[in-house]
Amino acid sequence: MSAYLQVDGLDKSFGGLHALQDCSFTIAQGRITCLVGPNGAGKTTIFNAITGFLRPDAGTVAFRGETLDGLSPQAIVRHGIARTFQNLRLFTDLSALDNVLAGMLGQPGEGPLGAIFRPMHTARAQREYVARALATLEHVGLAARAREKVRNLSYGEQKLLTVARVLATGAELLLLDEPASGMSAGALENIMALLRRLQGEGKTLLVVEHNTRVVQQIADDVLFLHQGHLMAQGTPRQIINDPALAEIYFGGAI
Amino acid sequence: MDFWLSYVTLAAIYVLLGLSTNLLVGIVGIFSVSQAAIFGVGAYIVAHFLMAADPISFLPALAIAAACCIALNVLVTLPSLRVSGDYFVVTSFGIQLLATAVFTNWTGGTGGANGLPGIPPPDLWHRPLEDAWQVMALCLAACVLGCVCFFLVMRAPYGRLLRAIREDELAVAAAGKNVLRAKVSAAALAGAFAGVAGGLYATFLSFIDPSSFDLDSSILLLTMVVVGGARTLVGSILGPFLLLALPQVLTMIDIPTTFAAAMRQLIYGVLLILFMLFRPQGLAGERL
Repeated sequence: MSAYLQVDGLDKSFGGLHALQDCSFTIAQGRITCLVGPNGAGKTTIFNAITGFLRPDAGTVAFRGETLDGLSPQAIVRHGIARTFQNLRLFTDLSALDNVLAGMLGQPGEGPLGAIFRPMHTARAQREYVARALATLEHVGLAARAREKVRNLSYGEQKLLTVARVLATGAELLLLDEPASGMSAGALENIMALLRRLQGEGKTLLVVEHNTRVVQQIADDVLFLHQGHLMAQGTPRQIINDPALAEIYFGGAI
Repeated sequence: MDFWLSYVTLAAIYVLLGLSTNLLVGIVGIFSVSQAAIFGVGAYIVAHFLMAADPISFLPALAIAAACCIALNVLVTLPSLRVSGDYFVVTSFGIQLLATAVFTNWTGGTGGANGLPGIPPPDLWHRPLEDAWQVMALCLAACVLGCVCFFLVMRAPYGRLLRAIREDELAVAAAGKNVLRAKVSAAALAGAFAGVAGGLYATFLSFIDPSSFDLDSSILLLTMVVVGGARTLVGSILGPFLLLALPQVLTMIDIPTTFAAAMRQLIYGVLLILFMLFRPQGLAGERL
């Protein structure tokens, strides 16, 4: 049986910078895998390569046995992989509800012809989608803020909203780029509980995370990336207790 | 009475142009300064078919003009898919200059700087609309139809998609949406509005020349969107009605006509600056 997500020999250079070097790993279905490593290790580059935002110089990515090479970002979302961004990239002028709706696929009236010539059909379908989007917001704990413009939400709420937006796509593999960074202690517990809940619902998560406490609490597997290469793979305990990795992670100063 | 008729007719035509500009600039964020060029192409095409040796009737001519303007607007908007924001303004500026050059110098097709006089009035199923009331009714009907389309688009998921694209194209792609298709179809819709407005304009005035479709006109359209308000239907209606009233108000003041034209440009400029500084959301819109 082939792996759920298989990343094989990815290479990517930006000028003289070797962002990814023969990077290979696999991810098992239904697990939370944390991607860790020092700044510049290539964590976000890996995300970009898997989700089609970046074309690698070499290597392949396969999802459930199907290759994703050369597919556009939107095609990859339709295959069932969706991602968040480290800098959120929410639609700040739109409401929280509209942000979630913007992530839902296959809505009638998403082109001009459907919008103009089938207004009743569009409106009827929209009521269903709105109900589903509200349920998604409820799920991440933002139901009360649904009609609020994103710019008026707190940073923690905005982070939850990015998760709601990837959930809206219906994807089963979620790539979350630092979902817990910059959050207060209370909000942190909140988002860790949410990630656990998503796992319970059958989602598979690949999470970039810096906070070792978070990694220890949520990760089933940890991938340690260094200079664009997979350096180690193991349980959180194995990775965190490895002195060689700690040396790389925290730098030679310690 | 005549004055009111022509004011309302012209305003109805400009509302269509306002919708076209608002859709592209306000909603999708494709900052086009060449919408008057598309408007002009619509006007010249309808004029051409109505004045041909073997003329066709108004509605088919209008349909041809709309189709051409859809294709043309998609074509001139394509650079916006590659160059973003500020750079596209420069590209669009070039397109506008190019169009003006063609309108002015292609004397065989457009009559050049002298323009095309004697364009017949619009007709419906071979019944010419000779009466100014009828022409006004036709333009108002087209305007209402345009407003309904705009309203439906804004209310539908399509409107949300376009607004999301203005904010963050990359995030829209990450949400699994086809940005290219949405932008191209918005450009097509804006082109159709401008083409229809052009056809109505040519037959209403019975005379067209390049001065109606130059850079000043494109900027007038942008001013209408800024003053009326970006991204709203009400804003797209208010802008044209207010700014077109201005020349009429100026004629009531006792100043020489040569002076009035310069005065009008001056006031448009001042309005644009004041609104940008003190009320960027316009009278009834959102921040551009």
